[in-house]
Amino acid sequence: MGPKKGGAPKQRGNAAETVEETLQAVVLADTFETRFEPFTLERPRCLLTLANTPLIEYTLEFLANAGVEDVFLYGGAHSDQLERYINASKWRAPSSPFKQLTFLKSTSTSVGDVMRDLDGKHLITGDFIVVSGDVISNLPIEGALAKHRARREADKNAIMTMILREAGRNHRTKASSVSPVFVIDPTKDRCLHYEEIDQHNPDSTRLNIEPEIITSHQEIDLRQDLIDCNIDICTPDVLSLWSDSFDYQAPRKQFLFGVLKDYELNGKTIHTHIIKDHYAARVRNLKAYDAISKDIISRWTYPLCPDTNLLPGHNYELRKGSLYQEQGVTLARSCVIGRRTVIGQGTSIGDKTTVKDTVLGRDCKIGKNVTLEGAYIWDGAVIGDGTTVRQAIVADRAVVGKNCTVEPGALISFGVEIADGIKVTEGLRITKAPRDEDDGVPTSEPEIVGEGGTGYEYVPYEDEDEDDTASNASSGLIYNMAHLSLSTDSISTLSSEISDFGGSRSGSFSTTMSDDEDSDHFVHDAAASVYDSLREGVTSDVVQLELVSLRMTANASDHQVRRAVVSAFMKRVAQLMEGGKGAGEAVREIFGKYREIVERALFDREREDKPDQVDLLVLLQQDLVHRSRGDTVLLFIAKELYDLEIIDEEAYEQWWDDERSSSTEEMRQVRSQAQQFVDWLANAEEEESSEEEESEEEEDDD
Amino acid sequence: MPATSGPLTPGLASFLKTLRTNPIDTSIDNLISLLKRRQIRHSRSCATATAYLLRGVISASRTNDANKLIERVQNVGRRLMAAQPREMVVGNIVRRVLGLIRDEAEDDREGDFNLSEAGSESQPQTPRGLDDPTDVLSARHDGSDRGASRQPLPALTAAPISMFSLLSHPDTENSLPGTPVSASPSGRLLGHAPSKDIRAEVLDGISEIIDELTQVDDQIAAYALDHIHSNEIILTHTSSTTVQKFLLKAAAKRKFTVIHAEAFPNNHEATHATVSGANPYDDELLSTESFQKPLIALGITVILIPDSAVFALMSRVNKVILGTHSVLANGGLVASAGTRVIARAAKVHQTPVVVVSGVYKLSPVYPFDFDSLIEYGDASKVISYEDGDLVDQIDVQNPLYDYVPAELIDLYITNLGGHAPSYLYRIVSDHYRKEDISV
Repeated sequence: MGPKKGGAPKQRGNAAETVEETLQAVVLADTFETRFEPFTLERPRCLLTLANTPLIEYTLEFLANAGVEDVFLYGGAHSDQLERYINASKWRAPSSPFKQLTFLKSTSTSVGDVMRDLDGKHLITGDFIVVSGDVISNLPIEGALAKHRARREADKNAIMTMILREAGRNHRTKASSVSPVFVIDPTKDRCLHYEEIDQHNPDSTRLNIEPEIITSHQEIDLRQDLIDCNIDICTPDVLSLWSDSFDYQAPRKQFLFGVLKDYELNGKTIHTHIIKDHYAARVRNLKAYDAISKDIISRWTYPLCPDTNLLPGHNYELRKGSLYQEQGVTLARSCVIGRRTVIGQGTSIGDKTTVKDTVLGRDCKIGKNVTLEGAYIWDGAVIGDGTTVRQAIVADRAVVGKNCTVEPGALISFGVEIADGIKVTEGLRITKAPRDEDDGVPTSEPEIVGEGGTGYEYVPYEDEDEDDTASNASSGLIYNMAHLSLSTDSISTLSSEISDFGGSRSGSFSTTMSDDEDSDHFVHDAAASVYDSLREGVTSDVVQLELVSLRMTANASDHQVRRAVVSAFMKRVAQLMEGGKGAGEAVREIFGKYREIVERALFDREREDKPDQVDLLVLLQQDLVHRSRGDTVLLFIAKELYDLEIIDEEAYEQWWDDERSSSTEEMRQVRSQAQQFVDWLANAEEEESSEEEESEEEEDDD
Repeated sequence: MPATSGPLTPGLASFLKTLRTNPIDTSIDNLISLLKRRQIRHSRSCATATAYLLRGVISASRTNDANKLIERVQNVGRRLMAAQPREMVVGNIVRRVLGLIRDEAEDDREGDFNLSEAGSESQPQTPRGLDDPTDVLSARHDGSDRGASRQPLPALTAAPISMFSLLSHPDTENSLPGTPVSASPSGRLLGHAPSKDIRAEVLDGISEIIDELTQVDDQIAAYALDHIHSNEIILTHTSSTTVQKFLLKAAAKRKFTVIHAEAFPNNHEATHATVSGANPYDDELLSTESFQKPLIALGITVILIPDSAVFALMSRVNKVILGTHSVLANGGLVASAGTRVIARAAKVHQTPVVVVSGVYKLSPVYPFDFDSLIEYGDASKVISYEDGDLVDQIDVQNPLYDYVPAELIDLYITNLGGHAPSYLYRIVSDHYRKEDISV
């Protein structure tokens, strides 16, 4: 079985069908959350190391333990890095416990999209396990699986079993800010109701349980003591359910909640499997990262411990006091290595340094008189003499100078350099990742990293309308609960980072959105759907049909439809251009073929003023602000729309005069090239238009 | 492998099943990851898996050269041992296979000399031709290892070789690596027939090891009546099948009482199942022993006690019989946690401590740092993970094994018979070649 690309799922679909009842698993490598920023700006989340082993290894280990044979791995942000990693890993080797490991790239921006995509690909043949790429568990899954199968045999509507770990009232590994509440019928292990309680939001501290549930069940359990590790055993029905409800994004807050609510409607039941032994947890945020690191070091996750040496090439040994040490570590004679510490190969620790509760990666250089407590120092980091680091993460190749203090909760991202004597204050996040698409070289902020340092403070990108501003206040790594709050399961994170698949980060559907959530969803879904259709070359009738049905269900406005269309078309145009086509060619191809769609979004053909057409042009303009060669494209579009008689001359004039189209500097910039076209429209007589256009086009193609 | 509706979790059974179909390198990696994930645990499973794998390795290697075989086995062995250094039986099996190859290589060479000197005329040099000389030689050499020649008392066969090997082996060992077998003039004379033999012989030898692994418990049990007398009170610990068979054998003839310490927290469930005869959810060893009757079915009184009560009851106990994880060269044990406490209590009460163990568990490793031999297991067995406050504030350690020093043990019963701990070094030197002690 050679390595496979995500691009050819079809042949394998047949292969998978022939093998019945192989256990399949879907790994969501990207969970579409932003909680690990700034690290996830440069590296996919599942490749972040936990006790010096990338997160994805634990998840795949779990699946191997469970006897899974087919794995579909969905990459999100930085999927190229992940793919490279997986291809080089032991999971691709012939000895891999997986018969198939398929890497699927997707354009998804949410778990829901992934599931719908999966449904479209018809890869799933039987019961399958869905896990996110950050699950750590030593649970043998047979028990749950057998129960699930028995239930499904008995009742076809038992579509899903969630595996939940019991975990007392206070637990470090439990989510602290948002607690999921499960209402369960213990006699049938059926989940009746699900709700998330946001501890920081006084409005949501009460549950809304339908009276029906209480009256119709003799016994119900209300449980808040469960760790939800997002391990679900699903039947293929789940996928079609996802597809039916295209506005679901998050697996719990929306899908689970929605399916349970619609029980009367579709009769599907979802069950729980609550485990009391074995370990199962999910690295959902930095606090969980910290807690799970500790669990691993204290061997709660046995056998998934550092001295199991999951990665080939690792050679950790357990010493007294939960000290894991690889060969080739250089320790100064007078340094003190305390309990619960992991030290990777090639790391050197200087005189009189104290290390405790700390994970040190490979090839770190720790100076003299350093104090490390509860720190996570990743591979190749350098800590200067006399520095103190407490409960902070210092990422790969970062350099902290001499006599610095890194306070709890600070996150120092890849390659950041901090000059001598600097105090990194609590919860500060420092990165040197390119800040935005346009300024290539990020400027360093000397007030943060000191003279000669590199890096700047990272302020998390946050959706304007979202509620969890509190999550910015702290990184969540610190134990101080008062500071702690992490974003809810993220519908909110249609962040530019994730939905990006062309290359330029601003290519996302969502950056320009500020409407309420529903319309966001519609625009986003519709755009995604249209874009997919364009890419696959579906006929315009089909696209139109899909668009209309989406619109009807979401009750979306014409404006929203236009927005979705523009968004999708522009993305496709950009993609074609990247593929080597000229701007004019790309525009003609798309608008020529799908003219009808644009036309059907405009309803002002007969009117004197042309608000719809103007709106379309403005939207195009807005979209093109972010794209490369947006000005050229706009010119071609203007011309093409004119040629196709989609937009009338009057509309161009009105657009040009519309204040929206010249509101900002960028907008003006983008439309600058179109100036000639508008001028020409104004001057030219209708008759000889065609010839002139052609010559003009040739000029612009250069 | 078609869909497994049965046990999903990979383990010994699935490994052995795929061993036949997979290419050998895949199987090696497969076993390594199974060992790493602790999906194959316990001495016998590890030993069986290793023996089968090495048989695969030998039969897959197309070389005829003993040195190359040794190198290959060493390579594989090192990787396996690195995967789970605390399963010492893996190393033991690797060493025994290495010893086999070396023995065969030497036999072969000496056989060649005999042949070329004595019967170089018309004697056909087919594999058959070697039968006679090897039989003669095996009287000198073969007693040092496995199977066939074990049934006679080891002391008889051991004495001549030991003297012989003391004097003669050093130079043969030294010369061995220098002069590869096939390069010897007689080897060339004979074509490749003898070197072909090496592989076949080694494979036979490994099969004997595998047979030994399946029979070892019964062989040990054969000594039971010599050691367990009527109306004795026996104390034991853990659900070791070796111990169970030993006791069952005695129970067929004699009446005695067994006090069974439950080995909390790592083995108590299995122990309870053993005592009550409830079919234990056996981990991968789904073989005959899970169907055997419990002692109580034979009319034996079995008293299950918590580990903490061992000392209190020790004064009444006539004999302590223990299973073990592995036996070290100095006579010390690495056995389930709790064993040391029992052995120590027995010492205080001057109660004899008998350890039953297959020879395959006997390791030539000397415990310079016995901390490193002890595996630490899942902390949640000790306190429950639900208890968030404790988990956060307390370091929980759950050692799976104890190191029991040799002076606490009075007698070892292996498949070769009973030995004093001080005698184990002899068995070690009979079973493992000196040059293989560090693989």
